[in-house]
Amino acid sequence: MKVKAKYFFLMPGVIWVLLFTLFPLIYSLYLSTTNFRLGRDPQFVGLANYARILNLDGGGGDEKAASTAGFSVILVIGSTTLTIVFGTAVAWVFNHDLPLLRQMRAVLTMPLFAAPVAVGFLGVIIFNEANGPVNNILQGLGLGRVNWITDPLAARAAVLLTDVWQWTPFVFIIVLAAMQAIPDDLYESARLDTKNNISLFRYITLPLIAPAMGTVVLLRLVETIKILDIPVTLTRGGPGSVTQTYNFYIYETGLRGSFQLGTASALSWLVVIVAIIISSLYFWRVRARFE
Amino acid sequence: MSAPTQTRPLSSASAADAAQRAVLPHLRLGRIALMIAALFMTAFALTPFLFALTTSFKTQLDSIDGTVIPFLQYQPTLINWQQEFVSGGAETFKALRNSALIASGACLLATTLGTLAGYGLARFKYGIGNRNLVSWFLSQRFLPPIATVIPFVLLFRDLRLIDTLPGMVIINTTFTLPFAVLIMRDYFADFPSELREAALVDGASEFGVFARIVLPLATPALVASAIICFAFAWNEYLFASVLTNREWKPYPMLVAGTDSVRGIMFNFVSTRMIIAVALPVLMSLLVQRFIVRGLTFGAVKG
Repeated sequence: MKVKAKYFFLMPGVIWVLLFTLFPLIYSLYLSTTNFRLGRDPQFVGLANYARILNLDGGGGDEKAASTAGFSVILVIGSTTLTIVFGTAVAWVFNHDLPLLRQMRAVLTMPLFAAPVAVGFLGVIIFNEANGPVNNILQGLGLGRVNWITDPLAARAAVLLTDVWQWTPFVFIIVLAAMQAIPDDLYESARLDTKNNISLFRYITLPLIAPAMGTVVLLRLVETIKILDIPVTLTRGGPGSVTQTYNFYIYETGLRGSFQLGTASALSWLVVIVAIIISSLYFWRVRARFE
Repeated sequence: MSAPTQTRPLSSASAADAAQRAVLPHLRLGRIALMIAALFMTAFALTPFLFALTTSFKTQLDSIDGTVIPFLQYQPTLINWQQEFVSGGAETFKALRNSALIASGACLLATTLGTLAGYGLARFKYGIGNRNLVSWFLSQRFLPPIATVIPFVLLFRDLRLIDTLPGMVIINTTFTLPFAVLIMRDYFADFPSELREAALVDGASEFGVFARIVLPLATPALVASAIICFAFAWNEYLFASVLTNREWKPYPMLVAGTDSVRGIMFNFVSTRMIIAVALPVLMSLLVQRFIVRGLTFGAVKG
């Protein structure tokens, strides 16, 4: 009886993941070895798609895959770094005894729950070149206006900053929880030696939140790799295609135009491999908790 | 249940500080500086929403003039809201109904599956290793969704699930299941086991204990799981853009389609944006103490 009961609880979920996560993924792996286009029968081509994308066949590689992957890497590194710096700073401030902290904390987490598609449009309004608030503030400070949507470099910055705005609260709540887990008496005894807040942060707070930070880095990496919705609405990938992310390119290859499902599947498996590596590191770090 | 992640002041230290503060004015100044910093950071998160809100009450002409204060700087108008809910009402209400049905279906199904699995993972040991099973459930959250779009298009085409409610519920249940499993597993893991063991000794079955004793006490976690799943399903865009068209288009599709239909109209886009974000953002205020655990998959015990 007991044996049956424990599987009754577990199996529906396990089967769900098998059917709707694992099976599509394996199907995608199969598709990546074909030259499938919509309306044509798929033919097995082995690793030819991968060879073409990675330029192992000497055909010059897939330039657009390389350039969009380049922008994705910039976003992944930039957004992970900036959200961690900003999120930690906010958490440090909020780890003090201040009035209205709970209410302010709730407001700070709001961007996390906004639809990324809507957040992209929020960026369109905020970064509006003619009279948007960002440009008005910059001009007020005497820094001049920036062509956030039409200038290639500024458009990339706009996508990055919008993503950073949405995800900083995520780092904030994790780091704050880690800071609050530090026992008070550590600070008390350290205060006997120094009153300097920077030293306290450097020698007490930082080492003790380091493990949580490692986990945050991995979670941010894996989340930023998925980025697609914000550039779709904020810049539509433009000007030209400088703000197209790698995922955006997969979407266009497989689901627009000539519907090259085989090539798109091979492109996506290259991201899947990266995601598997990062998530393995993550599970390796947190798995002890789940035994 | 461990203590919720509220602001826990550096309590004993601050008691000591309080005495010092009375004599050292610079410490009070430091506190004021921190308070100003905290308010500034909060404003930074809030301002874009407020800007969109104020823009949604502008005419198209006013929407590009950079003003922000209604009545003083510009004359507010309900024209965009009327356009969205009155003249364009049929399309709007249909999309909102679709979003509500898809998100409700997904949150019910994900929370049901997640509660069962979460209870199993918290209460029993499985031969394959519980931590491996947790990884199994979390894997979905770590995969780039773009990787499974194409297989789902082909599968749904064969199963005739494209542009249907069951199809969209399946997709969103799959995406939100990891949240539900983790939130419920953590809740049950902290649950006192005495109640359950006493009932088992009294001859109750595992299912009886689960249904009559554990489940009623798990209401806060169930609500949190349901809300987080609902919010993420409500926001989903990528799969909706590929797997729905006329009948089951959810609201984010309407948001994304705005400017291609009408050219960029900041005032109108703002209205739709506010509508899209209002529900999940307001709901998030109800589940504050579950957010850390729910969103970070065990990274931190909040």
